Amino acid sequence: MSSAAIKLDQVTKTFDGKVIAVDGVTLDIEAGEFFSLLGPSGCGKTTSLRMIAGFEQPDSGRVHVGGQDITDVPVHKRDMGMVFQSYALFPHRTVAENVAFGLRMRDVPKPEIARRVASALAQVALTGLEARKPGQLSGGQQQRVALARALVIEPRVLLCDEPLGALDRKLRQQMQFELKELQRRLGVTLVFVTHDQEEALAMSDRIAVMNQGKVEQIGSPTEIYEKPRTRFVADFIGEINLLDDGPKPRALRPEKIRLGPAAEARLAGTIETANFVGGATLYRVRAADNRAFLVRETHAGERAPRAAGDAVGLSWNDTDTVSLEG
Amino acid sequence: MISRRSILRAGTGLAAATTLGAPTILHAQASTLKITTWGGKWGDIMKATVLPAFEKEFKCTVSADQAFPYVPKLQASSKNDPLYDVLQTNSNEQWNCFTEGLVMDKVSVKDVPNVADVYPYAVSDKIVGVTIFTSAIGLGYRTDKGITPPKSWKDLADPKLAGARGSYLIPVNSLGQCHLMMLGKVYGKGLQDLDAAYKALELLKPIKLVDFTGQMEKMLLSAEVNEGVIHDSGVYRYEGDNRQPVDFCSPTEGVVALEQVLSVTPGSKVKQLAYAYMDYMLRPDVQKLLAEAVWYSPANKKVKLAEKYDTKLLTTPEKVATLIQPDWKWYNARKEDIDGRVTKILKS
Amino acid sequence: MSTTPARLSPNRVPFDAGRAAYIGLNLVLLAFLLLPIAIVLVFAFNPMPYISFPPVGISLRWFDKFFSSSDFMNALWLSLWVAGCVLVLAVLIGGACALALARGNLPGRSFLTAFFMSPLMLPAILTGLALFQSYLLVGIGRPVWGLIMAHTLVAVPYVLRTTLAVLHNFDRRIEEAAAVLGASPTRVFFEVTLPLIRPGVFAGGVFAFIVSFDQFPVSLFLVVPKGETLPVVLFNYMKFDLDGAIAAASMVSILLAIAVVLVLERLIGLKAYVKL
Repeated sequence: MSSAAIKLDQVTKTFDGKVIAVDGVTLDIEAGEFFSLLGPSGCGKTTSLRMIAGFEQPDSGRVHVGGQDITDVPVHKRDMGMVFQSYALFPHRTVAENVAFGLRMRDVPKPEIARRVASALAQVALTGLEARKPGQLSGGQQQRVALARALVIEPRVLLCDEPLGALDRKLRQQMQFELKELQRRLGVTLVFVTHDQEEALAMSDRIAVMNQGKVEQIGSPTEIYEKPRTRFVADFIGEINLLDDGPKPRALRPEKIRLGPAAEARLAGTIETANFVGGATLYRVRAADNRAFLVRETHAGERAPRAAGDAVGLSWNDTDTVSLEG
Repeated sequence: MISRRSILRAGTGLAAATTLGAPTILHAQASTLKITTWGGKWGDIMKATVLPAFEKEFKCTVSADQAFPYVPKLQASSKNDPLYDVLQTNSNEQWNCFTEGLVMDKVSVKDVPNVADVYPYAVSDKIVGVTIFTSAIGLGYRTDKGITPPKSWKDLADPKLAGARGSYLIPVNSLGQCHLMMLGKVYGKGLQDLDAAYKALELLKPIKLVDFTGQMEKMLLSAEVNEGVIHDSGVYRYEGDNRQPVDFCSPTEGVVALEQVLSVTPGSKVKQLAYAYMDYMLRPDVQKLLAEAVWYSPANKKVKLAEKYDTKLLTTPEKVATLIQPDWKWYNARKEDIDGRVTKILKS
Repeated sequence: MSTTPARLSPNRVPFDAGRAAYIGLNLVLLAFLLLPIAIVLVFAFNPMPYISFPPVGISLRWFDKFFSSSDFMNALWLSLWVAGCVLVLAVLIGGACALALARGNLPGRSFLTAFFMSPLMLPAILTGLALFQSYLLVGIGRPVWGLIMAHTLVAVPYVLRTTLAVLHNFDRRIEEAAAVLGASPTRVFFEVTLPLIRPGVFAGGVFAFIVSFDQFPVSLFLVVPKGETLPVVLFNYMKFDLDGAIAAASMVSILLAIAVVLVLERLIGLKAYVKL
């Protein structure tokens, strides 16, 4: 399967002439990359994806795929695969017919359609359900049909709009692995829209964190997590302590703080709450200067060594803090 | 209040303005005669025999409308290009149309020569146009229910007939209107003695009321009523193979005329053909054919019916003298008041 | 074995007054709806020329009279022909209107919807009268297509209603999915949109057929001599001969309407789900 690079160049999209959904976004997505657009609802991630797909026309800026400017190419000629949160399966057609649809639109000969549909269904472990209607399938099965339908046309690009959002937690984790594995195997460029930072961190090669129509930061999951550039990114990804005592705000991840005797520490404080999160405990500590800190302490054994009301000392290395832009 | 009629009139005025400009087109249709006529057995004979013969003789086509309501349709069409050339209705509707200028009053012997041979009632001052047939409104009754054959209109008030007597919804049926006027004559000073008629109406309660004339026939046949106001043809037609235990009584006080009347519309573009049709309908042979088919009394004096019809229908000056013709112009002018009164009386 | 009675007892439905009342009410409503038809049936097969009960026998004389009357037969065929045309036109116009209203981003959409629905608000007799006057005014007379247009006018709202209802619940992502898979807008319409809204359009079409086939008030002024629809012929027949032929005609039109609905259901309705 071939894959293509995607480039958004200064793309802007306004709705109803006033609401700016996407504001001068530039993205360089490499061929074969698993790229996530992450942000809260209304941040412009879905609109960006829909402009790549061709459902929305940018007001200004260009969209390139595989080096070609496709800004003015209509949706049905863009040769992309797409998976929707609502699955968007054709309810009046069987599983096999759903998967065959894209091939039929491409006038692929019937025997080849049959062969490719069978192999696509095998890929998503749905062999045997060809004759079912979407209404007779579970949510996870429907999502796999949607995936098979998108991939069977061997698209250069696979676009996923919160594809796992409607699944329950356990199924979602399983599908995360499967999707990631499938993408790696096929080598397709995958653009993944999600508001779930854990999902984005777990699956992506790179992530663009978006806020209010703009890209706040682009980087690998580690970069995004370890070196958030802005207060928004730091706050949106995982738990964070913001330190406002210097010339610039700094971020400090809870696991970078060590707890110990108060006498040897930077700050003294009292534990307010202790939440066991499996292999670790997340404490909320009220410092003597009344600031609240989140501290994550890993430990062996089931029981947390500390409890609410304990007096503790907080210490960290300055190198573990990250300066934020604002 | 703006009545429906005034809206129609405004519409027809507009229509008149537009059609005036196109007289040549109208002449192209000159050989079509547009008439209204009854349905049922009458309509069958008209379509099978009477109209084809007319078309052949006068080298024209006749477009015969058998679908009610004729008068609103005529009202809605332009006076300069009316929907009908000849209007056939009962007398009361002719008066409505005449009052609105939709039809012309009298026909002359010059235009319609056979008018010279009709009984006086057919062209009396109670008639717009010319009557071609009449029925007699009297009392129909069951012969198998042990009731005394009625002689007078008053016999309908016989207490034994409570709930088994029938008449019509006066606001919508002209036989009901005739009945009401007759009550004025029988119980009071004359056809126009409404107070006496209202009082007499009280005596008839409880009474079964229908809106179609045909329904009264069925109620008599199924013995839902044993005695009711009806026209003679609605009873006489059940004879021979169709025999049913019903009979008709012409009350001593007289029978009310239910006339089939033809009139010509003033805007007709084929007036000569229209008069020819009227004349044709009054011809003795056409009159005989239709009269014997539906038991209507012919208006032409010269018609000689077969014996069984002759004995029952109004075919002599003596029998014709028992016909009472209501003044529909007078009645129609008061219709709303009367409707209100009788509805109140019959409701309580 | 001895446990069987004990096991049965929880299954025994205790008397439920609410449920009994519910069933009772339904039976009464059914009777209210069907009893008049039963009376028509008795009237149609009773040889007597009036409604008599109990019927004196069974006879097909009224059906014979109905089927051998050229007036009735002409009217029946005209009504079927008109209703068929109205079905097609109402489906095309109503379906297109519904799509335009639901999808077209038109200014004044709610006004337009109300406008298209307005033939339902107006008394049908006025619609008929107004059209009659308009036709005379523009001098086209009263052609059959004028009657068909009039029926279509009052039938379109039914198609519009049912189609709009389907479109209202339509997930547009399904169309987007088809487009992204390579379907041009035309193919999206025929492959996805149409099959999915077909039940709504079809239901509206059946209404349109029946509205036209049973149409009396609109037809009243618009039929011409020798070109009268069945309801008009029946109405006028009733004024002169109130016999069983009316009942026979009613039975025939009820059966015909049912047959047409069933045939359409077979041809269009079920297939939408069985095929592809």
